[in-house]
Amino acid sequence: MTEQVEINSESNNSSPQPENKPAGLAPKRPFRISRLMMKELRETLRDRRTIITLVLMPLLVYPALSLVFKTFLLNNLPGLAANDPIAIRIAYSGDLPKEELDEAVQRFGIHVNALQSAESLSATTSDSLQEKENGADAGNPFPGFKSIEGHLWTYIPNEPEGEMSELVATAQGSAADDKRLDVGMFITKTKAEAESKTLLGYQIKLIHRNDALSHTASDYLKYWIRRVNESEARERLKFAGLPFEPTWSTSVDIVGESTESSSPVPLASLVPLVLVLMTITGAVYPAIDLTAGERERGTLETLMAAPIPRFGILFSKFVAVVVVAMLTALLNLIGMFATIWAFQLDKQFGIGIFNLTTMFQILMLLVLFAAFFSAILLVVTSFARSFKEAQVYLIPIILLSLGPGLMAMAPGMELTGFNAVCPMVNILLLARDVINGSVDPTYAWIAVVSTLIYGVIALSLAARLFGSDAILNADANSLKDLILRPKRPQAITPIGAAMFCTLMLVPLNFVAIEWLNRFPSETSADFTNRFILLAISLAVIFVAFPALVAWYQRVDFRSGFGLTIPKPLFAIGGILLGLSLWPIVMWLTTVWHELYGVIAGAEARDAWNDQLVELTKQMAGRIQAVPSWVVLTCLAIAPAVCEEFFFRGMLQRSLLKNVKAWQAIAISAIVFGAFHTISSSVIAVDRFIPTTLVGLILGYVAYKSNSLLPGVLLHAIHNACVSFLAHFQETLVKQSWFPQNETIPWHWVAAGAVAAAIGLALIIAGKRPADQVEPVHRQV
Amino acid sequence: MIRIEKLSKTFVVGNRDIHAARQVSFEVHPGEVFGLLGPNGAGKTTVMRMILGLLKPDSGYAEIQGIRSSNQPNELKRQVGFVSATAGIYQWLTGREMLSFFGEAYGLDDNQLTERIGHLTDVLELGEFIDRGCATLSTGQKQRLNLARALVHDPPVMMLDEPTLGLDVVGSQVIFNYIDLLKQKNKIVILCTHRLEQAQRVCSRFGLIYQGKMALTGTLAQLQQQTSKRDLVEIFISLIDSDSPDPLVAEQK
Repeated sequence: MTEQVEINSESNNSSPQPENKPAGLAPKRPFRISRLMMKELRETLRDRRTIITLVLMPLLVYPALSLVFKTFLLNNLPGLAANDPIAIRIAYSGDLPKEELDEAVQRFGIHVNALQSAESLSATTSDSLQEKENGADAGNPFPGFKSIEGHLWTYIPNEPEGEMSELVATAQGSAADDKRLDVGMFITKTKAEAESKTLLGYQIKLIHRNDALSHTASDYLKYWIRRVNESEARERLKFAGLPFEPTWSTSVDIVGESTESSSPVPLASLVPLVLVLMTITGAVYPAIDLTAGERERGTLETLMAAPIPRFGILFSKFVAVVVVAMLTALLNLIGMFATIWAFQLDKQFGIGIFNLTTMFQILMLLVLFAAFFSAILLVVTSFARSFKEAQVYLIPIILLSLGPGLMAMAPGMELTGFNAVCPMVNILLLARDVINGSVDPTYAWIAVVSTLIYGVIALSLAARLFGSDAILNADANSLKDLILRPKRPQAITPIGAAMFCTLMLVPLNFVAIEWLNRFPSETSADFTNRFILLAISLAVIFVAFPALVAWYQRVDFRSGFGLTIPKPLFAIGGILLGLSLWPIVMWLTTVWHELYGVIAGAEARDAWNDQLVELTKQMAGRIQAVPSWVVLTCLAIAPAVCEEFFFRGMLQRSLLKNVKAWQAIAISAIVFGAFHTISSSVIAVDRFIPTTLVGLILGYVAYKSNSLLPGVLLHAIHNACVSFLAHFQETLVKQSWFPQNETIPWHWVAAGAVAAAIGLALIIAGKRPADQVEPVHRQV
Repeated sequence: MIRIEKLSKTFVVGNRDIHAARQVSFEVHPGEVFGLLGPNGAGKTTVMRMILGLLKPDSGYAEIQGIRSSNQPNELKRQVGFVSATAGIYQWLTGREMLSFFGEAYGLDDNQLTERIGHLTDVLELGEFIDRGCATLSTGQKQRLNLARALVHDPPVMMLDEPTLGLDVVGSQVIFNYIDLLKQKNKIVILCTHRLEQAQRVCSRFGLIYQGKMALTGTLAQLQQQTSKRDLVEIFISLIDSDSPDPLVAEQK
């Protein structure tokens, strides 16, 4: 290696070093993000797994899918393949003589002119049946049957016993069985015959399978029967010399542009959903590969050792993911349209070819969506420590994202108000509106900007998570930690366990609401029962369950939940805030309503207001109907104790050990607010902002006092004030202590604000007591 | 100069506290190769990661030329070339693409990059495989590429964590020769290795770390004096044998 030494001396000569400063070090220069992106793109695009999702999907899957679609689905759906004759098998049995039905069919036979006996069924082909074109058939609402050459009628000979079951049995036969029926008619004479010899009546019972063809055939028969009746009625009126003109006649005018296409699923909603799913498909693999994959390959540490800001690294990865997602979407789009064209599916679905502007707008929306979703994916995959783990995390995310996708397909969903800022839903609705050509520019911008904001937030979060020291160094034992019981007591609930409890709130709460709804709510005794049951469910969800988890994790309850005696100052502050916050909260709610009016329009606000007033009245009625002790214990004390125990006790204290104090308070307040929006079954949004604000104050009080008690006092008194206001509403209004019209008087708000300021000042002034238990090292 | 002052780090794994570093202190000067030696799990890697700022120490600090990770994390990282035993390569990139990527990350311009890659290709004999996909490289080639990657920005400080792991005699000889070269170039080198014979030859001073504590520091002569053992292997074994060695603190020269 002498050669090297020579080279060394050479390079040493070329750059003489100062005495103390060691050699080398290139000058500092801002990095070029495009170069970093190139690496990420090369890495993904050279990977054959990317190629599979990118190229093979559109090339193979769509043709295969449409082949399957065409072969199986279309053949079973009458109406879609209008050119193919479909033979439906109808059999009848019962009191009506064959000759009479024959005659009815002869007279009103819309498409059918042949009746077959069961014996000859197998020998019959549709060729032998001739459709009888009838002038009265012009308005046939079953266009699928229009050009059918013939329908097969089967006659099951009239047998007194077991004919019904025979019909059912024949109807239920296997599809391969050529005697299987699509509809059975079971005909019985009605009493009309006995009463009047002239008017014979028959009750016809239709039996059909629970599938599309059988359903349609049955509907068709109902239509046919109605026409028989109509014709019969016409005959009778004619006979009686009465005119047929109906007293009520209708005609329908449709105003405004159509928002729904005639196909069974509105295509304008379906196309965006399909595109979004394709984008997700394309983004998932590179998102995992470029984040969790770095760790798995052992390159993450090297990357972290380089002086690139994490946001820079993540941003270049993000761009690469978006590019691959867009490529996938594009290739899929091409594959889909090529397939539609090649298989002539557009004729069946009535798809018009979009114009270029629409295509371009959809593409832009797709870029936006891909950016948003890639950022979300990167948050999750940056958190994961291996490919496997990332996949485990992603499955629920993808399933969850189908929810908004399906929501956006629901008819009547508009891109207004809350929908305009609801992630995913807003983009899908906007895409739908773009296809329909009915875009509201204001909401379009709100949707675009809010999605961009979510994307940036997600990306920053991903940058924080990516390569953070816990993830770089931890063994994959976080899940194990959650399941295995620690051997040592812990001062604070581990963050994993606290998060687990938070996630479990959703299903537990759902079960609790469903359980409560099983109890009657008619009388005041019912209301009392339900309030008590509500308190019990709160105790289970917020106390029993977290306590069980904490016990299992050997958490010290005093330190883990802050079950300590606070300084008197904090208790006084809590009481003051409890007494004074409610007028402010009520006022804020009205302000929020006005604001909602500005965002969503006065009409939406009023509709919402009406709904809210109705709900408030209902609730107030219930509160007035129950004894005071129930109001106090079940609506004030129980929620205060239970909710504080979990939100400010377990969750916030666990968060405080892991993130900055303000972040811990903010996160627990948002979870608190979000929980109250899902727990009120009807109206969600209006509770979120006021509750979150109260949650912030409760969180701050709990943090400063380092104890649960002042928050419990605050919460209980606050709830008591609101509940007793409703409970004694009549008396209060009668005594003119409280205004009738339910808007809060300004001097109450002012008084509340002053008292709250004093309370808050006390809390701020107090010195936070130190944690009583020595801090446990942060888990890695 | 690199200065490590009372670095401590404790991990909680399951139910156990693992003291990966307890009050570790040492200094390394330009032109010195500091051998950070110790058995597996002694805390060498943790100390290196804390120096780089990849891990936050519970207490203590590390500074390079007066720069601390807590204030100027990226400035500190620019001073260091880091090779770790577990470092991977990007299998879908070629060696040249990988070096260019890291050159970009360290802020090299195109001319510098071409010059540095050319230089490293010559010195580390990368020529035959630098334009091949990394997936096809042998262990020795990968490790040489990794060394080149760490050197691409010509850093004043090199930290090498088991750079010869899994390499054959010839392969590790290339690496040790290069470390010699770095010493001559007045670089600061911290080397973790289990190849004690080579370490004895190449390192100017040693720090023996055991159970998170710096048990011994000093030149070979100083260590021999303190332990009255002849060579590094014996010193190393005596360190592990005596279960709780006295934290002897050797004087800096």
